[in-house]
Amino acid sequence: MARRSGFWRFLRFTLLATALATALFTLYLDFRVRSEFEGRRFALPARIYARPLELHAGLRIAQAEVVEELRGLGYREAPPEGDSGWFSRRDGQLEIALRPFVYWDGAQPAKRITVFFDWGKVTALRDAGGAELALARLEPLPIGGIYPAGNEDRVLVRLAEVPKHLVQALLAIEDRSFYTHAGFDPRAVARAVWSLTSDRPQGGSTITQQLVKNFFLTPERTLRRKFTELVMAVLLELHYDKNEILETYLNEIYFGNDRDRAIHGVGLAAQFYFGKEVRSISVAEAALLVGMVRGPGHYDPHRHPTRALERRNFVLREARDQGAITPEQYAAARAGGLGLSKKAAMGTTPYPAFLQLVHRQLRRDYDEKDLRTEGLRIFTTLDPRAQSAAESALSKRLAQFDRDKRFGQPGLEGAVVVTDPQSGEVQALVGGRDPRFRGYNRALDAARPAGSLLKPAIYLTALSEPAKYTLLTPIDDGPFVWKSRGAPDWEPANYDKKFHGMVPLRIALAQSYNAAAARLGTDLGVERVLDNVRRLGVERPLRPFASTLLGAVELSPLEVAQMYQTIASGGFRSPLRAIREVTTQEGRPLARYPLAVEQVFAPEPIYLLTAALQDVVREGTARGLEKNLPLELGVAGKTGTTDEQRDAWFAGFTGDRLGVVWIGYDDNRAARLSGAAAALPVWGEMMAALQPEPLALARPEGVELVWIDPQSGLRGGMSCAGSIEVPFAQGSAPRERAPCSGGLDSAVQAVEATMEKAKNWLERLFGR
Amino acid sequence: MRLLLVLVALLASCAVPERKPEESPTSPAAPPLVPALPPYREGVAVAGLMEGARAESAAGNLAGAAAALERALRIEPRNPRLWHELARVRFRQGQHAQAENIAARSNSWAGDDKPLRAENWRLIAESRRARGDNEGAKAALDRAASSP
Repeated sequence: MARRSGFWRFLRFTLLATALATALFTLYLDFRVRSEFEGRRFALPARIYARPLELHAGLRIAQAEVVEELRGLGYREAPPEGDSGWFSRRDGQLEIALRPFVYWDGAQPAKRITVFFDWGKVTALRDAGGAELALARLEPLPIGGIYPAGNEDRVLVRLAEVPKHLVQALLAIEDRSFYTHAGFDPRAVARAVWSLTSDRPQGGSTITQQLVKNFFLTPERTLRRKFTELVMAVLLELHYDKNEILETYLNEIYFGNDRDRAIHGVGLAAQFYFGKEVRSISVAEAALLVGMVRGPGHYDPHRHPTRALERRNFVLREARDQGAITPEQYAAARAGGLGLSKKAAMGTTPYPAFLQLVHRQLRRDYDEKDLRTEGLRIFTTLDPRAQSAAESALSKRLAQFDRDKRFGQPGLEGAVVVTDPQSGEVQALVGGRDPRFRGYNRALDAARPAGSLLKPAIYLTALSEPAKYTLLTPIDDGPFVWKSRGAPDWEPANYDKKFHGMVPLRIALAQSYNAAAARLGTDLGVERVLDNVRRLGVERPLRPFASTLLGAVELSPLEVAQMYQTIASGGFRSPLRAIREVTTQEGRPLARYPLAVEQVFAPEPIYLLTAALQDVVREGTARGLEKNLPLELGVAGKTGTTDEQRDAWFAGFTGDRLGVVWIGYDDNRAARLSGAAAALPVWGEMMAALQPEPLALARPEGVELVWIDPQSGLRGGMSCAGSIEVPFAQGSAPRERAPCSGGLDSAVQAVEATMEKAKNWLERLFGR
Repeated sequence: MRLLLVLVALLASCAVPERKPEESPTSPAAPPLVPALPPYREGVAVAGLMEGARAESAAGNLAGAAAALERALRIEPRNPRLWHELARVRFRQGQHAQAENIAARSNSWAGDDKPLRAENWRLIAESRRARGDNEGAKAALDRAASSP
């Protein structure tokens, strides 16, 4: 008797304990479902945009270039379809149905504009009513994102935005009894349990179960997991209504990959596969997406178009049989092709090098986690035209070198930076020979000897003392030895292995004579010159050695761009920026990265230096640029070639673009190429493609232009053949006249003197 | 007085041969080193943005005004008026160092626009005073007075 009651007690205890455990487990699951589903917000990547193209009368851009930009944005060419997102071309005219877009400074509704072109310029803009428009913005090109784990990307949509035919087709295929079941389908569950034992996978999950599986569970298939999934599905159904569950599901489903980017949710899938908002996808397109749910890789319409088409037609048939679509809709949808968007695959980004720069600048101000999950919108300075010009000029040149056996393997590498000289905005960045490669970014991280690129700092230091140095001051390019205690003697040689005696300062820079620069730099004082290098914007430590003057300092192409930026903008330093604005996902402004300027040099010496840098292109080491660009552009720049020709550089600027090009080997072997032979042609070809504006300098008050006879370096005149106009700081020009300035000149001088005297006399007389 | 000056000049010029155009000192090999800066006239796009910036600024939205001016500067980076207006906005934002530097930038493009130069120098003076640099402010005011 005692034993019997002991058994019953044990049984009761066990049952009670099991019930309690089950209850506790259910409670725990309930807690998880509620807290996670409630608190669950999809991790949304920060979305990164290029600069928006601003169209206005006078803009130098060809119709074809605007069309290219529109295609990149996924706009379709006429026939007009829907209320936005298309364009139509006529001779000299372009009609565009702009999509709505939320900018940093507010929302811009969809609108229709017509752009008129003539001779590679925009001549006018009109709205749909024919009224003149001053300015129109094309939405900026999305150029990538900063993604959450697994590079998951999605665009959230509301259920109300999703067309009925998509939802009905989805339910017809995935879960017919969705609106009536309690989270699971008992027959399907029975089949699934059976399949577990029979070792053959079976579907049969409801939409609720699929969601639970994606949200909370690992993909292993065990009985316990199946049970947990079931309980959680029921709990989910208890707490949330069907539409909430469906909406979450629509945003969660996986639709395959764009290279390394995972496409999630119908919102992004519609954009990625059809270049459309989900609200405007057709019955056929909806069926294609629904067909992919079961096997996104298997039914990938890009890789397996036939299979995907068959699957789509199967979905259409089912939808028709279920009454989700009419037979007419079925017939029309079945007749069409896949209708995929022609936009090229982009992966997480087509511009990894530029995005690296953006990401680094963002990390100063934002948490990495916020960047990957909060759906921030980042508006950058990338100019896709400049970027593609930079990429193609570099790869073309490197391909030429590859064909020449002497350059060996691995081949030469290169990097390009393009900025706006006035604002310091970075417009393009190429980090190596493969612009799609995500990794070592030479534009930011390759520190290479700057060579002669540093020389402008020496000449700037000299020209800041107009009483001692003008562009014509003779500089000694004789053999030069620098002795300092504890260091070997420094004897810089010239590129042509010759010395050139006394040469005018501007020629010493134009021809990049080393001995002259070394002598001038040490005369001025190494520390003084290096101080100016820092003021130009180089922040890394500089060793206070004389050899640093000739570029024994390692800089990245971006640092070189910063240095030349200060020269190009007239002595005003602006930190190079890749970001303009950041907003929340909804478009609320968070931060601006404003234009900041600091005047670090007086305008006069910068003006004189720029004139000398123009001589580099007109008659110096960068003469070869003439092959690509007309002399009248007045390009200013400097070539750089380092010891044994390991590095080839060119840095220069026009009126509207500044560019730095570097070419060399990663392992630092001698490339046997000069800056003029390797980097300059890349720069020239890139700029030619961008049709740059001429360099028009604002002459400061303290600078005068004087005609000079180059032979004697004295004031020339009309009888001195070959006289040139040279800028001087006020009062520093030579007074003496060249012997060639003959009687005629002295006569003119006499007139001027008489005029001056008469004026003075009259002024005294009338007491002005 | 001007008539007299012209008269004297005419007389003086009679005494010596006139310059002949074909004897210009320019040889084909020597184009002027730097093209001269054309006088500035803004386009309608920039005029519209400038108006918008003024409205924003009047409504107290200085960040919005600055954004509109920067947008305009991307279209016309050499427009000294735009730089000047941006300097004013920075001053009102309390960014006195930026106000001073940007006003100087405006001056670098101002060419012969003497009233604008004077305005810039006055703004520089105010910015310097706001930062406690009274001597610098006085020097700037002198510059403003010398370019009326």
